[in-house]
Amino acid sequence: MRRTLLLASTMLALSAPAHAQQAPAAPAASGISGLGIRNIGSAEMSGRIAAIDAVQGKDGKVTLYVGAASGGVWKSEDGGTTFRPIFDKQPVQSIGAVTIDPSNPNTIWVGTGESWTRNSVSIGDGVYKSTDGGDNWMRMGLPKTERITKIVVHPTNSDIVYVCAPGALWSDSPDRGLYKTTDGGVTWTQILKGSNLSTGCSSVALDPANPDRVMAGLWDFRRKGWTFRSGGEGPDVASGSAMKISNDGGRTWEAMDASTTKGLPKGPWGRIEAVFSPADPNRVYAFIESERSALFVSEDGGKSFEERDRSRNMVWRPFYFSKIVPDPKDANRLFKMNLNMIVSDDGGKSFANASGGSHGDWHDIWINPTNTKHIIGGDDGGLWISHDGGSKWVKSFNLPISQFYHVSIDDKDPYQVYGGLQDNSSWVGDSEYPGGITNSRWENLYGGDGFWVFPDPADPDYVYAEYQGGNIARINRKTLESRDIQPKGGYKEKLRFNWNTPIALSPHEKGTIYIGSQFLFRTRDHGTTWDRISPDLTTNNPARQQQEKSGGITVDNSSAEMHTTIYSISESQLTAGQIWVGTDDGNVQLTRDGGQNWANVGKAMKLGPDVSIAWVEASRHDPAVAYVAVDRHSFGDMAPYILKTADYGKSWTRLVGPATPGVRGYAHVVKEDRLSPDILFVGTEFGLFISRDKGANWEEFRPGNFPAVAVRDIAVAAQGDDLVLATHGRGIWIIDDISPVRALNPDVLASDVTLIRSEPVQQRIRGNGGWPEGDATYVGQNPVDGAVITYYQKARHVLGRMKLEIVDPSGKVIDELPTSKRKGLNRVVWSMRTKPPQVPPAASLAFASTQGQRVMPGTYTVRLTKAGKVTEMPLVVGLDKRAKFTTADRQAQYDAAERVKGLFVRMSALTAGLNAVKSQAQAVADNESTSAANKAKAQALVDKADALRKQVVATTEGGAITGEERLRENMDMAYGAITATEARPTSYALARVDALEKELAEVEAGFAALKAGDAAALNLALQADGVAPIDLAAVQPRPDNARGGPAAAIGSYMVGTRYTGSMSALRTSRKRN
Amino acid sequence: MISLRSAAALLGVLLSAGAPAMAQSADELVAQNLAARGGAAALDAIESVKFDGMVIFPGDFQLTYEEVRTKAGDVRVDMALQGLTLVQGWDGKTGWRINPFEGRKDAERMSDDEARSMADTGSIRGPLQKAAMQGSTVTYLGREDFDGTNTYKLKVTEKDGDEFVYLLDPDTMLEVKMVETRRIRGALQVFEYEFGDYEKIAGVYFPMSVESWLAGQGNNRQRTIIASGTANVPAPASLFAQPASPATAPKGN
Repeated sequence: MRRTLLLASTMLALSAPAHAQQAPAAPAASGISGLGIRNIGSAEMSGRIAAIDAVQGKDGKVTLYVGAASGGVWKSEDGGTTFRPIFDKQPVQSIGAVTIDPSNPNTIWVGTGESWTRNSVSIGDGVYKSTDGGDNWMRMGLPKTERITKIVVHPTNSDIVYVCAPGALWSDSPDRGLYKTTDGGVTWTQILKGSNLSTGCSSVALDPANPDRVMAGLWDFRRKGWTFRSGGEGPDVASGSAMKISNDGGRTWEAMDASTTKGLPKGPWGRIEAVFSPADPNRVYAFIESERSALFVSEDGGKSFEERDRSRNMVWRPFYFSKIVPDPKDANRLFKMNLNMIVSDDGGKSFANASGGSHGDWHDIWINPTNTKHIIGGDDGGLWISHDGGSKWVKSFNLPISQFYHVSIDDKDPYQVYGGLQDNSSWVGDSEYPGGITNSRWENLYGGDGFWVFPDPADPDYVYAEYQGGNIARINRKTLESRDIQPKGGYKEKLRFNWNTPIALSPHEKGTIYIGSQFLFRTRDHGTTWDRISPDLTTNNPARQQQEKSGGITVDNSSAEMHTTIYSISESQLTAGQIWVGTDDGNVQLTRDGGQNWANVGKAMKLGPDVSIAWVEASRHDPAVAYVAVDRHSFGDMAPYILKTADYGKSWTRLVGPATPGVRGYAHVVKEDRLSPDILFVGTEFGLFISRDKGANWEEFRPGNFPAVAVRDIAVAAQGDDLVLATHGRGIWIIDDISPVRALNPDVLASDVTLIRSEPVQQRIRGNGGWPEGDATYVGQNPVDGAVITYYQKARHVLGRMKLEIVDPSGKVIDELPTSKRKGLNRVVWSMRTKPPQVPPAASLAFASTQGQRVMPGTYTVRLTKAGKVTEMPLVVGLDKRAKFTTADRQAQYDAAERVKGLFVRMSALTAGLNAVKSQAQAVADNESTSAANKAKAQALVDKADALRKQVVATTEGGAITGEERLRENMDMAYGAITATEARPTSYALARVDALEKELAEVEAGFAALKAGDAAALNLALQADGVAPIDLAAVQPRPDNARGGPAAAIGSYMVGTRYTGSMSALRTSRKRN
Repeated sequence: MISLRSAAALLGVLLSAGAPAMAQSADELVAQNLAARGGAAALDAIESVKFDGMVIFPGDFQLTYEEVRTKAGDVRVDMALQGLTLVQGWDGKTGWRINPFEGRKDAERMSDDEARSMADTGSIRGPLQKAAMQGSTVTYLGREDFDGTNTYKLKVTEKDGDEFVYLLDPDTMLEVKMVETRRIRGALQVFEYEFGDYEKIAGVYFPMSVESWLAGQGNNRQRTIIASGTANVPAPASLFAQPASPATAPKGN
């Protein structure tokens, strides 16, 4: 095996192009991560959880750490109501173990690399430690262990830690077994290893009565692309699996097997899990996979055992379900993870189902030691909480750790997103929705494990989806009725469909789809009939078709090991019938005549036998060009490989290899940009990587909110420039508009700052949606609401002002926006709204008038000032493409809003004038030297001015719902009626404004009369007494410089911050009556 | 944002106390940050500072912004729209607020946790540069990439358990990011901040751009843009004291 690996690597090196061998100096990173990315979830289906630990504090609160199989570590400080990811900055996201130090709840250990070794499992890179509750992490070593299943911290000495590492899944490795540190992780000693290089540690437990007494399980296992073994190659083949016990902290070990320990089964063994009961150290539970797999129980601390339960959910699929969790208080009670979790209350003699209404496929639970009825567990469908000891379960809908394999989008506006997930079916969800993309905006379409899902371009009422093994169906979106349309084999023929069977749509014929077994099939009638358009395109190697023997000791042939299959299909968008096919056993096949003739062009890649073709991608720009992602991780090589042909496969050049800077993780997908052949996107096990120069140089796309999660598929919109990522562990992510990447030429990259032009922006219609769901559900993010302005800057902006202004077509500055400071690409959003009306102050906000109406479509100018240098670019604003109204309608709305604003200006001046007269007259009335007669006149003037003011504005304070409506409040509602929609105002809305203007004019007339009458008379009287008259000149209201915004933002988004203190109490009611 | 007072002397004490190598490195970075801001003497000369500008809440809601801080630690923030002003204040003992948007203009007292947050705000010096004065622990956590900038990472742990992680720009040694972890009513709250547009006020650098957001919600940012800053403005105690509540429920006026 090792020799073969080296040969293959050498061949890859030989095929590298000159630029890869003599790499030019890489250009400065362009900071593409500044484009940003948003997660749309979903947490509805969530995803597999591998490990859990928790602790209940003295205040009763439960702090919970959840290790997702491929989505990082999540922390809840409120028992699971809310979570936040705390491992996102680390280079891997696959978690195998999470352990809280029993002596210090702020010290958390995480073992990376899941140990539930299914075919799609990811990899880790060692053990991590946090001493501050997960805020910061230190990588503590064991980088080559690949996967860790258990970490145990000494109960009283935090420096002593045991790490149980099954180790590499796909290859031999000495870096596995049981490791121990006595200095808090600074140094490690391998204290137990297997008898061969495929045997690692599967279990470790410390005797609660004597922590130097250590019991460990060793597990011999190996997965290949076409088979798996737990134990040896069969139930009676020698295996390195064993159980050991040490009485001196791991310095020396004694075997525990049928020859040394009464009651244990004869070997060979497979996966082993052994635990002490915390409630009674003499009670030992051990699950041992063997020809007679069972639970074995010891009542004497492990000196002897008795075989007990052998039920299906005890012994089924030991490689995937082996965990035993004993009750911390009751020695007779224990849980065993499996498809259905089971529980025993009689020391393992009998078990009952404890899964309730959960998803199933359980992997770990935490039992609250202060209330053992309180259990938190994880399965393939996410996190579950029980308050009755495991009878009933509440799902946590707040962990977006969904494991997508593939993604596609439709041509709706906004588009919907389709994808299939590991053990979680096939779904469709919204890319945007008013109020946020809640879990309820996702709809299940099918069942099983989900993979490729496509809307039928010929009939939007239907989708194509599949479950494992190529079980494709055509599904009615309205009734959800599904019709099996999987091609069937002929006489004594077995069709080999991959676990993740490829389906592809023809870009040339709506309704034509392809699916691959070892043959390529095509249907032109929605699956009613199929044409077999190829011979066997694989190597058809019979040695890799022995899946019925897969599993080792326990047979396991779930179609996950199906091999010598077609794995990727891509028809050229330029040439109909030109189809590229990649197989999981290394072939790349090409037909240029719709399947009549095929050529195995992959031979020219000279990759050797041990490769899989993860992806083939026909170029969008040149029919001779195709790209291939080569995956060798199932042979133990975790490096990325991307190759390209420009001559229909006659020759290949390597764009990415093990030594390529900027790319890491085995590759899953490669795609070309929609418009630029220079730009390539590659998804690997560790994220998204982008090249702007045909693959010569690469840059990781890693915004701060995006972890190093596996990117398994990328959907490129047929129109528009959104990039949609299917991640295997963190759901679906969208990069809104990647077009600025195309603008990053050398001149731009050399500049201090450059504004990057965009396509015309739409004034997207804003709808109302969503409803409060509490804090325990996940809500996916919408795209930003406004015009996105993008600029590049060479370095982070720290010193001095940076100003971004919007200039309208007349040359007037109408808005100033806060700038983004980061190095590289930056994005800023402009609301495309005018300033709000200047309303007179009153008892409460005029809610409709907190924001201006939309600006009119047209060409605006973006002006960026940095370090005194001014740059500008045009920004074209247009209507929402979905709008049913015209620009003339919008103009009518705009003009009506401006008219109301003018009335508000008059109203504000009127109110200011009334207040001025009132306050001056009040001062006269309150002045002791004022004559009694003048006091009376002044007080009368005060009262009359106030009476007029109260016709204009509501004045009742106190926070109650007063329902007080005056001119200001009525005008606010009239303004809202005009601006709440963007179409032409109704005639009655305008008539209402006419009426209010008339009412305003009457009050203005009243004020004018008051000034000419009572006020003038008072002034004459004051002058007669030698007292200064009150000033009756027009008073201008104090300008309101606030731009305001949607009133809903006050209620929905104000957040507590140190800079402004908590804002939560400032919220206005979301529902106002 | 961050103010400094006699930090150099305190740093001297720390450095001479035989702190371990990691702590010494942290101290050096704190000192460099102090020097970058303008030095201890310039900080000491600032008795009060006033900022005027605008604040934009997530959802694009903008209000005018006015903030006054004193060397003693008082702070008052006024944010206005339609002639209505949100006010928050801290007078060294009590935190309070006024929310006029739904008809109440009398002041309400903040919870103690919220007031503690205001108290941190009230310090011109800020948690990093007042760490030595307050007996907080400063730890150097190494370098960290922040959107393409290889920053220095410092963690301040205050005696009350509140934590502040700072990222310092390696070219200017000024703070460009901060993560604040504190408990509000027993529940953990993590806020992140990004600083920029530093300008000098009375010889001391202050960020004229501050963005903040709840951890994990970086796409929903609160942005504060300061148009002007003035040092040593009048700052009477009455400005920061909680206004007395009316004897009876407010009513029409």
